[in-house]
Amino acid sequence: METLLNSAPFTGYVYPNETMIPWTVLIVVYPYLTGLVAGAFTISSLYQVFGFHQLRPVAHFALLVSLCCMVVVPIPLLLHLGHPERAFNAMITPHTTSAFAIFAYAAAFYVILLMLETWFVFRPHIVQTAKKTKGPVGWIYRVATLGSDDLSEKALSYDRKWLFALAIIGIPGAHGLHGYVGFVFGSLKSREWWSSDLMPAIFLFSAIISGTALVIVLYVVSCKLRKVPVDLACVKVMAYSLWGFMMFTLLLEGLEFASMVYRGREGIDVIMSFVKGPLLVPFFILQFGLGSLLPLAIITFLIWRGTSGPTLVVAITTSACLVLLAVLMMRYNVVIGGQEIAKTGKGLLDYQPPIFAREGLFTAGCVLVLPFVLLSILVRFLPPWHDPALAKAAL
Amino acid sequence: MPRHIFRLILVILVCVVVGYSAKRFFTLNSFYEYGHYRGDSVADIASDKPKFKGVGYCASCHAKQIAEWSNGVHNSSDIGKIVKCEVCHGAGGARDDRGPFEASATGADHPKNLKMVVPTDTRKLCTFCHERLTGRPLQQRQIVVADHAGTQQCIVCHNPHSPKLNLTPVEAAAQAGDPIVGKAKAAACVGCHGAEGVSRNLPGPSLAGQNATYFAEALKAYGAGGRNNPMMSPAAQAINAEDASHLAAYFSGLKCEAAPASDAQAASAGQAIASKCTACHGADGRASNGAWPNLAGQSKDYLINAIKAYKGGARNNGMMAGIVKDLSDSDAESVATYYASATCK
Amino acid sequence: MEDKEKLEGQQKGRREFLSCLGSALACSAAAAAAGAVTTGAVAATAAEAAATEVPPNPAIPGYDWTQHRWAFGVDATKCIGCLRCVEACKKENNVPLDAHHFRTWVERYVTLEGEETARIDSQADPVNIAASGSESEYRFADRYRDAKVEQAFFVPKLCNHCTHPACVQVCPTGATYKTEDGVVVIDHTYCIGCQYCVQACPYGARYFNEETGVTDKCTWCYHRITKGLQPACVEVCPVGARIFGDRNDKQSVISQFIQNNRVSVLRPETGNAPNVFYVGIDKDVS
Repeated sequence: METLLNSAPFTGYVYPNETMIPWTVLIVVYPYLTGLVAGAFTISSLYQVFGFHQLRPVAHFALLVSLCCMVVVPIPLLLHLGHPERAFNAMITPHTTSAFAIFAYAAAFYVILLMLETWFVFRPHIVQTAKKTKGPVGWIYRVATLGSDDLSEKALSYDRKWLFALAIIGIPGAHGLHGYVGFVFGSLKSREWWSSDLMPAIFLFSAIISGTALVIVLYVVSCKLRKVPVDLACVKVMAYSLWGFMMFTLLLEGLEFASMVYRGREGIDVIMSFVKGPLLVPFFILQFGLGSLLPLAIITFLIWRGTSGPTLVVAITTSACLVLLAVLMMRYNVVIGGQEIAKTGKGLLDYQPPIFAREGLFTAGCVLVLPFVLLSILVRFLPPWHDPALAKAAL
Repeated sequence: MPRHIFRLILVILVCVVVGYSAKRFFTLNSFYEYGHYRGDSVADIASDKPKFKGVGYCASCHAKQIAEWSNGVHNSSDIGKIVKCEVCHGAGGARDDRGPFEASATGADHPKNLKMVVPTDTRKLCTFCHERLTGRPLQQRQIVVADHAGTQQCIVCHNPHSPKLNLTPVEAAAQAGDPIVGKAKAAACVGCHGAEGVSRNLPGPSLAGQNATYFAEALKAYGAGGRNNPMMSPAAQAINAEDASHLAAYFSGLKCEAAPASDAQAASAGQAIASKCTACHGADGRASNGAWPNLAGQSKDYLINAIKAYKGGARNNGMMAGIVKDLSDSDAESVATYYASATCK
Repeated sequence: MEDKEKLEGQQKGRREFLSCLGSALACSAAAAAAGAVTTGAVAATAAEAAATEVPPNPAIPGYDWTQHRWAFGVDATKCIGCLRCVEACKKENNVPLDAHHFRTWVERYVTLEGEETARIDSQADPVNIAASGSESEYRFADRYRDAKVEQAFFVPKLCNHCTHPACVQVCPTGATYKTEDGVVVIDHTYCIGCQYCVQACPYGARYFNEETGVTDKCTWCYHRITKGLQPACVEVCPVGARIFGDRNDKQSVISQFIQNNRVSVLRPETGNAPNVFYVGIDKDVS
């Protein structure tokens, strides 16, 4: 029966309506994806705005990663809604006191911004390809050029100005988009596990590390697939930013947890028994130990030893994979974990997500895989590669 | 400005205009009327049809039950207990299980094509409120079900509309018979019931000091078939109601005779067990209500046989059957000893 | 020569600037015109609607919502835990008949000897469901029969129809709202089923109806109170543990209840300002 799939057995006392878990794995995947969007965009901006020229090999690739994740973001939400056909109600009559309503506009704005930035970055390629390609695909390219094949220096300087402006607007845009997700949880009075002023910042910085880690992994994988040497300088800069942001993220998360424990509000005993019990593996071992401390230790070791070459690439890619796991676990522990702690402060629920259901693990898995499927197709139409090794070889 | 920038700005502006127009177009008319919500939904929500109709709705046809209920303890604002009809009988309005999108419940209200629930398992229903439960305030009458009535249905003793049992002493029945006439007529009874109505070792029970109302009811039951005995049935058929009342008056005036105190241990054990019996039959064996028999001084064997008959079903009384269900043979004997030797007045 | 070039350059620049400005103005004008046309079209229809005046009250026959200020009272010293209210509410409001969806429920608080805090259960607890034998009929199991009980009581709970409802604040579409007479309701044709409101309510009063795809909660039987009836739970409560009425009427039962008792509310620290007033709850009830 569908109703029972989201129901959870409990210990202690929970409100009768709490036995149905409202937000399930799809709502874990959704902030994870928006996080990847924000993080990948940050890597792109580090090149575009902050002038980290070492990131040139991944800058435009990161942009495409961000775009692919962003277009998939509405899917888990629509699958979760009771009435997805009414989803636009939040845009037609947005209730401005609700973070969700603001999201609808922020997301729409951000999709447009990403599309614009992608267009500007790839416009030279689009114009050139439009001239060469025939048939319906060629027609799409030609529409995309907006009927202009102007690639003069003047036109390109306009493009660069627009790109710069978009990248600058995009930074608060991306961070606002994902910070608001933290606000959705942090602003609620009903759950001690969520209610915190630090939530937007925690979500934001964990988003940045997840996006950075994703770009690292995808870049290394793409290099292997294209049989191109990995640019070590680029990977090193990404590793440094991952390392720095990770420490800050750990600081924020640690601070939030420590404050909660120190304040010891009503219900803290149940929370502590939950953290030391059912959450021991997902929280302490997976998210904290394996996913945060281990990669941090690895990267610290690499930096201290000045490692380079294939060892560096393997070690950093491994760390990045662990970070991706950590951030996914963090979303799971916040979203599902928060709902497993009853609002009564006197009970705990145990939610086992179904595998094959509208809101099951299989659906969540498919949603998570989809951006990469899209990406693999998109890079053929809009190749973002700037490989210094190849450029040198061409000279 | 390069062509493509100009065209891009145009595209963006067109999108903004289209988007804003769409927003205005799709906003429902009654939205923002009273606040940030669809104004028409207030009336929609209010137009749902109520399913519980209230006592007034029942009164139009069920006057008798309403009258019983109005004067009973289930409608007592003094003690703050008002159990309305639909609590036990279900809602009188159409009870379809459609979702809440339909503004009004379809389907007919009672009585048209909608039967009200007549509870059959009253033991389940009444105990929702009256089972003894931790946390239930003590001013709520509550019973330990197994001890109170065993497996009997509540309505065997209690009228659900006016459930309080009348345990106050009842004055003698309106048609009081003439004891003198009764004495004359009682000559035929002496053979089994003893002179002066004291049976001692005779087959019939003692009748001395028995409640007149109970006596008359018993004769009536023998005559009509409610109680069956090869001797009493034909005998009772020969006695009409008037004679019955004379006999009742005569015997009720006689003094019963307590059996000599033979087994004190059994008697005191019996007294303990008899705590179940005292509500109706009195601690001293004298019933508080004329409709129930006095047991004081009754023949011990007769009492034991009566208990066995109630247990086995030979005598058909739901209340008695429930109460004696768990009495073992030795218990029955103890109780019988106790009442047999109870002081007679 | 240089001057001429410079002049030409300046003129070219000016021309370019002017043409740019001109096209920008043309764009804005076009956009403004387009906007004006659509807005005008919309405004025309709005004006039509406004010509037939916006009514001050919703079209509820015989009911003026500005005249009432509804409130609810719970006397937990009287509740006997019979659960007739829970069943009646489910019948009256088409609430799903299982142990996971309730508009109202009853909690039992039992403090055993030697324990400091009460043990709490509701009719949805599996032990009680087993005792009733069905998920659609409710009964409390006598599980403390053999225990040494120091104190025990029942507390009915329902939506508090807060003055500052957290659920209304977080609804993205405006599907849930508070009426002028103080009742928080849900527009089931507008709700998108995101369940943010279910998360936001600190009292656990809201639930998601999987069948209809929208959230739902106690409405104080708005469809009954606007017809002069009592909410279904108040109607069936045999002991008068639930009290409902109009605070605008100083002689109503609820006004007297609030005035004559030291009433308390659940979780006042949230700042939601609930409108269900309790008598007879204690430190363990939240």
